[in-house]
Amino acid sequence: MFIEYTWLVPLIPALCFVLVGFFGNKMGKTGGGYLAIAGVAVSCLLSVLISYEFFTSAAYASPGYYTESMTWFTFPGGFEITIGFYVDTLACLMMMFASFISMLIFVYSLGYMGEEGKRKRRYFAEVALFVTGMLGLAISSSFIEMFIFWEIMGLCSYLLIGFWSFNHPEGDDKADNAASAAKKAFLVTRLGDVSLMGGLFVMLYAFGSLDYTVVFDAANIASVDHNLIIIACLLIFGGVIGKSAQFPLLDWLPDAMAGPTTVSALIHAATMVKAGVYLVARCFPIFCEASSVMLLVAVIGGVTMFFAATMAMNNMNIKKVLAYSTLSQLGYMFLALGAGGYMIAIGIETGDTALIAAGSLGYTAGCLHMVNHAFFKALLFLCSGSVIHSTGTEDMREMGGLGPKMKVTSITMLIGSLSIAGFPFFAGFFSKDLIIEQALHAADYGTAGWIFIVLWALAIITAFMTAFYMFRMWYMTFRGPEGPKTQHCHGESPKSMTVPLMVLSIFAFGFGFVLLFGFDGLLSINVDLATGQFFVGGGHAEGLEYLVEFFTNPWTYLTIVLVIAAIIIAKFMYDKRKINPGKFNKNGTSWLYRALASRWWFPELYNQVSWKLGYGVARGVDYVDRNIVDGAVNGLSNAVVGSGDILSKAQTGNVRNYAAVVLGGIVVLFVVILALFYFMGGL
Amino acid sequence: MIPIEFFLAFAAILFAIGAYGVITKTNTIIVLMCIELMLNAANINFIAFSGFLGDAMGQVFVIMTISVAAAEVAVGIAILLNAYKIKKTTETDSLTCMRW
Repeated sequence: MFIEYTWLVPLIPALCFVLVGFFGNKMGKTGGGYLAIAGVAVSCLLSVLISYEFFTSAAYASPGYYTESMTWFTFPGGFEITIGFYVDTLACLMMMFASFISMLIFVYSLGYMGEEGKRKRRYFAEVALFVTGMLGLAISSSFIEMFIFWEIMGLCSYLLIGFWSFNHPEGDDKADNAASAAKKAFLVTRLGDVSLMGGLFVMLYAFGSLDYTVVFDAANIASVDHNLIIIACLLIFGGVIGKSAQFPLLDWLPDAMAGPTTVSALIHAATMVKAGVYLVARCFPIFCEASSVMLLVAVIGGVTMFFAATMAMNNMNIKKVLAYSTLSQLGYMFLALGAGGYMIAIGIETGDTALIAAGSLGYTAGCLHMVNHAFFKALLFLCSGSVIHSTGTEDMREMGGLGPKMKVTSITMLIGSLSIAGFPFFAGFFSKDLIIEQALHAADYGTAGWIFIVLWALAIITAFMTAFYMFRMWYMTFRGPEGPKTQHCHGESPKSMTVPLMVLSIFAFGFGFVLLFGFDGLLSINVDLATGQFFVGGGHAEGLEYLVEFFTNPWTYLTIVLVIAAIIIAKFMYDKRKINPGKFNKNGTSWLYRALASRWWFPELYNQVSWKLGYGVARGVDYVDRNIVDGAVNGLSNAVVGSGDILSKAQTGNVRNYAAVVLGGIVVLFVVILALFYFMGGL
Repeated sequence: MIPIEFFLAFAAILFAIGAYGVITKTNTIIVLMCIELMLNAANINFIAFSGFLGDAMGQVFVIMTISVAAAEVAVGIAILLNAYKIKKTTETDSLTCMRW
């Protein structure tokens, strides 16, 4: 009834983009903001209805998806590019949370961007397109369609990160940063996109089609060269690394903080970086072909998780801390997916059903953490936006003691911080502990199991660091002595900003409970060992079993103790000020502090690479272009013009010369013909 | 019967004289007259072959050529008069403005 109209879900925001883009300034003071909100709200409602219909339909049990598509165009070689939609539980999940969170962020933007005047038209048009990209990505029925929406998001991230400025005006650091950050985000993700495109070409070559139904079909996977699939997976994962800002392409995301805070919330929570996680979850059937690919996913995730968390420890910018925490949490998601996929891959090889069921938990953990993270990170970013809106600064040293003045913001941000830190019974606790458990579980299998022990240890240390830096941020902002900007802050933000915060904080607290009440089946993946076919959904509704599992596992208590310890340390350092943080880092002169402050020299490395290598290559290309390509073209034209110049000298304008030439020519012709007759006896 | 070679030789000589005049003379009127000589050399060839082959078509062409040549001379002289009005000369060496 509704599911046939799934294509409307991305189309409605796209329509809003067009309408707001052209007529936004005629739609009153908000510049089309209400239309954009209405559009996303309709999409959200529609996706809930579609999801409900899908879960109650026969297609949910078998074949696990509902898809409709039509031919877009056909290549001469017989390749057919189709366009359509593909609804399964993963797509439903993405649609619902992306549209819901985007809607709240749009409402919040009414207040946050309230003073932007005419520029609101551009803002609301671009965010509507951004959401189109994400929703389209979620329901795509083929890789090529997915890639189109993927690129739309790349474009929108560029446009929105550089919202304040695309130029580099002299002496305006903020505009300069915004323009550089936008370029950096675009170029770094482009590096990944090239890799993804390569992966798609390999897949097209291997499968002869990019439709999900074809590529994820067990019989087709079995008939294709195994190595080709592994190459395709690695290339696709390269694209994921760029989009989700994983090691080593992680540096664009902290810089992307130069955009408006609402855009950061959108990029980090609802769209953009989640696309990478989604793609890995979507590609499970082919990624699970090789345990080594999944191991790589887990290692990249684990490394990013740890390094990003360290960088958040000493940053003074409230948004940058949140940006690093996003990187770190994305790392957790990839660790979960990698660990789960690793077990599934080994389970398929050895035919171990129990191991596949265990690996499926990794998928559940990754997807649940993705949604949980969307809720609490949107909440945290919007809270930080509320603080920035009120104080006019992003530097936490200038804040402090804001709690009594901004009660709603401080309480909702506390809920978000507890959730991301993994405090028991908050949403983040369930998913994060499941991830940590998965990492340890995966260590028992395969020859590379010991790597998971390391990743597990990193995950536990990162959980501690997460709690510490989040509460460092919270205490520095809302507790302790009042900072210089606190005295003249504007007080609490308007209703349009606080209401979304309250709604989000409910989800940030409670979303983890879906795991306990039978919805985990919706977040799971299963493999039919007989055919090797993957099914998203269905699954293993263990419900309250999870609680037993959590609290009979001694390591859960370790993480809880570490989290509480980290919160207490942060309280003593930044609220009570009993411990001076300066004595651990020699007041900011120790090498570790400097390494963290300069982001482990990542930007430096990027610059070196791009200057030495990129600039060198660019110069070489420029030289070839100027001297060889242009040289050939210019040389040809010079030759033509030059010979024309010389030949035109023959045109004297004197008829007698012309007559002489004609006559001479005839004589020569005549002599030649005579000679031919004479020597050859005829023509 | 005069052999055809005589006619052809005569026409060739006439043509050569005309060509020589076109190339060497600087007075445009003489050049025009020399062109007429060359034309008549061709006409003589036509007549000679017409008689030799017993085909009247050659003579038909000669009559047509003469009429066209008359028109051509009229045009040529008209151009020459105009050129004279502008340049005050009919020397071919001075009438060289029709070039790049």
